[in-house]
Amino acid sequence: MLLQLKNVSKWVQSGGQKISLLKDINFWVNEGDFISIMGPSGSGKSTLLNVIGMLDTFNEGEYTFLDQSVHKLREKHRSNLYKQYMGFVFQSYHLIDELTVKENLEMPLLYKKYNSSERKALVADILDQFNIVGKKDLFPTQLSGGQQQLVGIARALIASPKLILADEPTGNLNSKQGEEIMETFKELNKQGVTIIQVTHSEKNAQYGSRVINLLDGSIV
Amino acid sequence: MLKHHLILYMRSIKKYKIPFIINIIGLSTALTCSILIYLWVSDELHVDKFHKHQNQIFHLMETLDFADEKSVSPHTSGIIIPLLVEEMPEIEQATRVAKYPKNASIFVEDKTIKADGYYVGKTFFDIFSFPIIEGNKNTIWTNTNSILLSESLAKNLFGTTQNAIGKTIDFQKKKKYVVSGIFKDVPTKSSENFDFVLSYEERILVQPNLMEWGSSGTYAYLKMKPETDVVAFNLKIKDFIKQKTNNDQIYRTPFLKKYSDEYLYGNYKDGIQTGGRITYVKLFSIIALFILIIACINFMNLSTAKVSRRLKEIGIKKAIGASKKTLVFQYLTEAVVLAFMALFLAMIFVLLLLPEFNQITGKQLTITLDSTLLIALLSITLFTGLLSGSYPALYLSGFKPATILKGKLNTSVGELWTRKGLVIIQYTISIILIVSVLVIYKQIEFIQNKNLGYSKEQVIHFDREGKTLDNNYIHTFLSALKKVPGVVNASCTRNRMTGNSWEVGGFDWEGKDPNDYTQFEHMIAYYDLIEMLNIDVLQGRAFSENFKSENTKVIFNEAAINHMNLKDPVGKTISFWGKQKEIVGVVKNFHFQSLHEDIKPMLISFWPDRLSKFMVKIEKGREKEAIANLNTFYKEYNPNFLFDYSFLDENYQKLYLSEQRIAKLSRYFAVLAILISCLGLFGLVSFTAERRKKEVGIRKVLGDSSAHISFLLSKEFVKLVLVAICLGLPISYVLTNSWLSGFAYNAGTSIWYFLTAGAFVLIITILTVSTQTIIAANRNPVEALKDE
Repeated sequence: MLLQLKNVSKWVQSGGQKISLLKDINFWVNEGDFISIMGPSGSGKSTLLNVIGMLDTFNEGEYTFLDQSVHKLREKHRSNLYKQYMGFVFQSYHLIDELTVKENLEMPLLYKKYNSSERKALVADILDQFNIVGKKDLFPTQLSGGQQQLVGIARALIASPKLILADEPTGNLNSKQGEEIMETFKELNKQGVTIIQVTHSEKNAQYGSRVINLLDGSIV
Repeated sequence: MLKHHLILYMRSIKKYKIPFIINIIGLSTALTCSILIYLWVSDELHVDKFHKHQNQIFHLMETLDFADEKSVSPHTSGIIIPLLVEEMPEIEQATRVAKYPKNASIFVEDKTIKADGYYVGKTFFDIFSFPIIEGNKNTIWTNTNSILLSESLAKNLFGTTQNAIGKTIDFQKKKKYVVSGIFKDVPTKSSENFDFVLSYEERILVQPNLMEWGSSGTYAYLKMKPETDVVAFNLKIKDFIKQKTNNDQIYRTPFLKKYSDEYLYGNYKDGIQTGGRITYVKLFSIIALFILIIACINFMNLSTAKVSRRLKEIGIKKAIGASKKTLVFQYLTEAVVLAFMALFLAMIFVLLLLPEFNQITGKQLTITLDSTLLIALLSITLFTGLLSGSYPALYLSGFKPATILKGKLNTSVGELWTRKGLVIIQYTISIILIVSVLVIYKQIEFIQNKNLGYSKEQVIHFDREGKTLDNNYIHTFLSALKKVPGVVNASCTRNRMTGNSWEVGGFDWEGKDPNDYTQFEHMIAYYDLIEMLNIDVLQGRAFSENFKSENTKVIFNEAAINHMNLKDPVGKTISFWGKQKEIVGVVKNFHFQSLHEDIKPMLISFWPDRLSKFMVKIEKGREKEAIANLNTFYKEYNPNFLFDYSFLDENYQKLYLSEQRIAKLSRYFAVLAILISCLGLFGLVSFTAERRKKEVGIRKVLGDSSAHISFLLSKEFVKLVLVAICLGLPISYVLTNSWLSGFAYNAGTSIWYFLTAGAFVLIITILTVSTQTIIAANRNPVEALKDE
């Protein structure tokens, strides 16, 4: 088992009232899974993904990732953990506009303290794998949305994470580009990468091996 | 990693040029200012500190305790030193110094040069570190007719310093001296300034009364044994003069003051040390720090104002695995890099401005890239970079990635108030500076136009030397002088008209209080002087050739008559230095000192021996011609001597040199403060416009006009500036009044200065703010309302 959530709840205080975002979530993921999280707007999909990705905290419950109790870890350990094992893909790609494709890809490696020659090798490999060698010196704004998302995925993958977290990865793309991205994910999954995606689209959910439906912060 | 930060920063500069330009202008201006002030302050702090024994050197000063006022005199009488040295074992060495009373004319073969000099005691060069480069230090004073020259004076006279020793120079065509040594030029970091030295014994020969207790023409310096307790020593010598004079001079209390402290701590009021140049050193250091902090605040305001465009980057980086430390490091790097770019620009500005700055401050500052300066520059720059980077770095890196990737960002009330508070401070300082500039300007104008009670215009003066030293020749000389074309009138005096020259006691008059030790200014006048300077004679007459034995007559000013409380003074007799003198006239009070001082009692006497300056009134509009004629005349009537003159009104201006310097400097600082404050406001306005983007969008969609929105956005800042005006005006009122109270005669303040300053600042604010608010109000609301 890669990770497990037990009775996880999250809420915020607003104007003296407690607003529940996640209610009593129980949920596990095995290595090699391709899971789709679905649900209407405001049902807590992104919040759940952020909790799994350790970008957000929760108020109650337990979260185990690779046999480590995340809720007991200190901030620094937690960030080491997700740095090492997770990659993020965002709906609006979130590439840094001032950096070229190559430099964007290199960035996670910098934070993981790879040395210069390792970084070069890994960037070359991933450019090759995603067939974007010719685009390496372009800036994100010079690419189409599909191409930008491809770079986004490449960046998430570059440090060989165990888990990819994708928040509506095709939300800003047209259907053809979307299909290509989903095919990429399918291919990666075949190679053994675990993927959790949040999606609105039934069609995209089909690519996954398991679907989790959320409504008002609870799994239904 | 560093490379990555730098690449990212350079590209973002390219993309967002305006904030970069504002930041770099603000920071480089502030750095320029700080570097200039640093150079000045460091120079000031080092004046007189180069003497090897500076910790042991003390100046013997005297507190003069008169009935109605206490003052401190830097002079003493020549006799006190030998007595002190004999009786006080704490003294290691001592020297007496008398200043040569005027510019001396020195003749070597066919050359004539005018130079300043001192008479000094034999240990002078042991106590003070003015190195002797030619001649043997032990034998320089073997002969009484020895003279030592500065390196550059020797070069001017002989072309070289090599063979100057043993050469004879003709001094004032009166006496010959033999060069016994050459000393290195007095450094600019010395408050003393002399080109030659003669022995103090020589001075006593000319002026034996220096050794009398009542005289005060000598400066005395002591080198104390190490670890002497000066406080205890001062107590010990407290009554020294009283005892030695059998209670004759009971009002004089000698005390020691550390020589190297005198330059910075040289002001006394009522006998108590009250600041001096150190006040300006502190003031300008604070101003430099303020300007630097204001510029840093601007950087912070701008960085946090433009936060939304960086939020995405921060979110991504955090999600990808950047630690808080990495981000803090990145933003600090950016700020420091910017600070160094600003330093580069600032250095260029400094090099360009240095000549002008030197002129204003009257210094000879240079940039020599030694280790001290480099360390100072690096620390100033790092301080600026780290200070301005700290807040954005901590503020930006503290966000939670999940929140900012959603695009939500709430600004706390505290943060907003911090920014507002900073703006209020900036503007308060600006207003204070503007009011000060106006008041200083008005006061200087007042000084220049003030009726002094005598007319200083078109009057030149020059020393009495050469043939004119003969009392019988003065008359011939003046008669011929008056005939020179362009000359209106001519006379002779001892006084400079621009400060005390000779304060004397020793009066006795009918009904005098025996405890009254008040000193009178002693003016020596020749015939025609009072008429030439347009000094009003209220009663009696001025000195005139038509009367005999004028040297037994005296004239007083009103202040003196009031002090002596004499009714119908003309015709009465008083006693002065034991001789009976008849009062022949009373003149109206006139300002013979700076306007900082009240007019003091003055005695005018006729005493040809003591005349030392010729004064010549020349015709208006013919100044150049008259001076050329005088030059020719002088060559004929006083051969061999240089016609070296100065204008009385220029000397008068020099009295207010430090006020004029402050005036100029504060003008620059006021401009800078306003400029930097406007930049700050610009930053804050753009921040607010950004924060209220959505509100503006909604208002526009609902049909509000751009003008009204612009007004709405501007209102907030105009309020801040109004608060600053309310704070700044009373503060500046207090400050300027306390500055003006240093002048016994001042122009006062007027409500208009305050209104002008307030209005000026308000207009500048509205202009700055509206540039931004108009842009914000005219944005397409669709852009603002679109969710990313």
